Amino acid sequence: MKLKYISAPAKIFMTVLIMLIGIHILQIIIMETAIIFAYKEHREPKKELSEQEKRLDRIKNSAKEFLPDGTIHLIYKLGRERYMYDWQRQENEREIVQIYDANDNLLWDGPIKDRPYKYLFWAEPPSPHRDAIDERRLKETLMITPEFSQTLEIPVFYSEKEVMQVWRYELAKEHFVGYNTVGEKFGYISAAGFTNSKAGAEPLGKFKLLTAWCPKDSSSPTLLWQTKRRIYQINFENQSVELILENPQTDIEKIALLAWRDLKPDTIEDTSTDMHRPTIYYQTEDRKHHLIMRNPDQKITINTPDDWDNRLISFSATKQSVFLNRYISERTPPEDYYKSPKLMREWWDNLRGKTTKEAVELYEAAEDGNIKLLNHYDWTVPGQSIFVDPRERIMRKATYCVTKFSPPLYELVWHFWGSKFWEIRHYSSDPMRELLGFIEHLHPGSSVLNWLISAAMMGFVLWHGWPRRTSWAWFIFWLIFVGAFNLAGLMTYWALNHTTVIKCPSCSKRRGLLKSNCARCGSKLPEPQIGKLNLIFNN
Amino acid sequence: MRFLALLRKELREGLPWILLAAVALLTIGGFSLRHAVVYKIYDWSRSYFTSGSVVYSNCLTHHTPLHITSSALFLTIIGLGLVLGVRQFWLPYFTGTWPFLIHRSTGRITIIAAKFTAAALGFIISPGLIWAVFFWYASRPGLSTPPPALRTFIEGWLFILLGLVIYLGTALVGLSTARWYTTKIFALAFATIAVIIVFMQWNLIMAFALIIASAAILLLQIIDTFLKREF
Repeated sequence: MKLKYISAPAKIFMTVLIMLIGIHILQIIIMETAIIFAYKEHREPKKELSEQEKRLDRIKNSAKEFLPDGTIHLIYKLGRERYMYDWQRQENEREIVQIYDANDNLLWDGPIKDRPYKYLFWAEPPSPHRDAIDERRLKETLMITPEFSQTLEIPVFYSEKEVMQVWRYELAKEHFVGYNTVGEKFGYISAAGFTNSKAGAEPLGKFKLLTAWCPKDSSSPTLLWQTKRRIYQINFENQSVELILENPQTDIEKIALLAWRDLKPDTIEDTSTDMHRPTIYYQTEDRKHHLIMRNPDQKITINTPDDWDNRLISFSATKQSVFLNRYISERTPPEDYYKSPKLMREWWDNLRGKTTKEAVELYEAAEDGNIKLLNHYDWTVPGQSIFVDPRERIMRKATYCVTKFSPPLYELVWHFWGSKFWEIRHYSSDPMRELLGFIEHLHPGSSVLNWLISAAMMGFVLWHGWPRRTSWAWFIFWLIFVGAFNLAGLMTYWALNHTTVIKCPSCSKRRGLLKSNCARCGSKLPEPQIGKLNLIFNN
Repeated sequence: MRFLALLRKELREGLPWILLAAVALLTIGGFSLRHAVVYKIYDWSRSYFTSGSVVYSNCLTHHTPLHITSSALFLTIIGLGLVLGVRQFWLPYFTGTWPFLIHRSTGRITIIAAKFTAAALGFIISPGLIWAVFFWYASRPGLSTPPPALRTFIEGWLFILLGLVIYLGTALVGLSTARWYTTKIFALAFATIAVIIVFMQWNLIMAFALIIASAAILLLQIIDTFLKREF
């Protein structure tokens, strides 16, 4: 096989890749420039709200919390304009709150820490940005980078400053290897517990998530380790592995914790008020909800209707009961919409200016997993409260214009692979996510104009390439290539095929110099005359 | 025999740069590594682990002292790749020695094979050997707990392979007859993109495959251009 048949595709690939990146960088610059120059500050005069509007605004921005007997309270932080997500975890305990009942009667106001009510806490998923490492975060730490990858290691301390042991996680083997102070291996922690030899170690399973804490009586971390189908609690100081859960049939999709970690009271993450039980909530891929509780040990599966949105359900367990909190909102897009940015955009566009309904419900779960409604509270969200950023409008217009020069091939990939593309992007590590986001942002959409521009470029190739053609296959390939890649394709074609043409002495039409026969009349190149060696200037 | 003679010639011409890279890496990297060991830069900080509190996730990911040499290694392989590429494929234009090299009683493929072999040996001898010494030193008992992972050693070698990709990019730029403002610089741009994409990988096999693919793309074009073009 001739070398040119493999080196030519290599050259085309290299050139088109660079052209694509260059054009996409240019598209981003144009979009950002459009925002910078087209953006005009537009402040609407602040409308004075009526008493009723102020009341609705306060209700909307209040945290809705339940007492263990099912009573709902609305907690409003004075001066707060946004909803209070983490109101119970206040860094500034002197902040003043107002507490209202369901009938909008003021029950109490004062500093948060002096409140006379003990509300239910809800199991929360550990956050990969704060107190957890998930699969994606682990991949990020393993990324090569110019500084090398990092390793996941758990230190065990034996004095104020010195490390006694370090346990390193081996991703390929799915177990921990223990090193002593001189750096020698002394054991393994795996699904088989602590073993002295590698042969005895068993893989923990495919890693999903970990969260770590130092118990009250120790300065060395304990890990809650979630794999695809198991949850372990690993105490490195005691070299013990406790299998908390094994789910052989279905994968564990997500977990949330309530008062499980043995933390000092009053720390930001502390939810271990005396009325809660240590609880792990986990949802399996069959969309079932399970709770594992301690004091006493108990495990229940909670039955919820199939049409409930699982993202908006949370659980709590006290010494007396198990509770379920359900949030209902007309503003929350259906789960499937998250797979399509287009559907999401349409959803938010349709919502703008509309008045919507929201509600919270508290249920009590029995030991058999059946639930009973204890309380329901709903409120209205005024339409005007949805803010429209003018920069977004400019960005959309600029995106519409510049993506007309994106490859139509992206659209085909998007059409056949769209929702999967979105999922891959979601689960990828950071730089790869950015790269996929880049493509997602710049795909041309189902645009006739994009195809017309591609067709015009193909027309140019037809005009330019006809006299220069060396074979039909090559010529047709470039036509299709330019049609598929739009501007990047045209630039690639031009970079690799721009040869000088001369006027054919036989037919007087233009012909390229790469082929000895004229593409139109078939006559050979003229022989150079003595003293007139330059074919270009002589013809 | 002719190949060996050509190889000796290429090695002789590249030797000052290969030695310079070795000395620079050994001095800067070795000094940084010793500094990290003496000042315990990568030791565990007890203050992140308080009883009764949550451990923040970034406290559980860790580097060993060997990581301090990464910048020196990275800059050395980029520098060596560029310099060897320029020395082997650009300088003969400026000194007018291409015709002397090409018009010998040996095929062009032997000439280019000698150049590539010399470059590969240069990378193995210079940054490769010193990287192995750094790893051996950092793995000595008691120097750090735990010792550097084998993965770090492999990553160092991936850096060295990336140096070869930069070298191939520079070589293709040198051989290209295109103008500066058109596609001449594309090979180096491609090598840069390859380096960035490899740095984004967490899977070593994937990273290795990407390096091989990008090196093959450049290598094919170099051979094709070298065999065809006039000197």
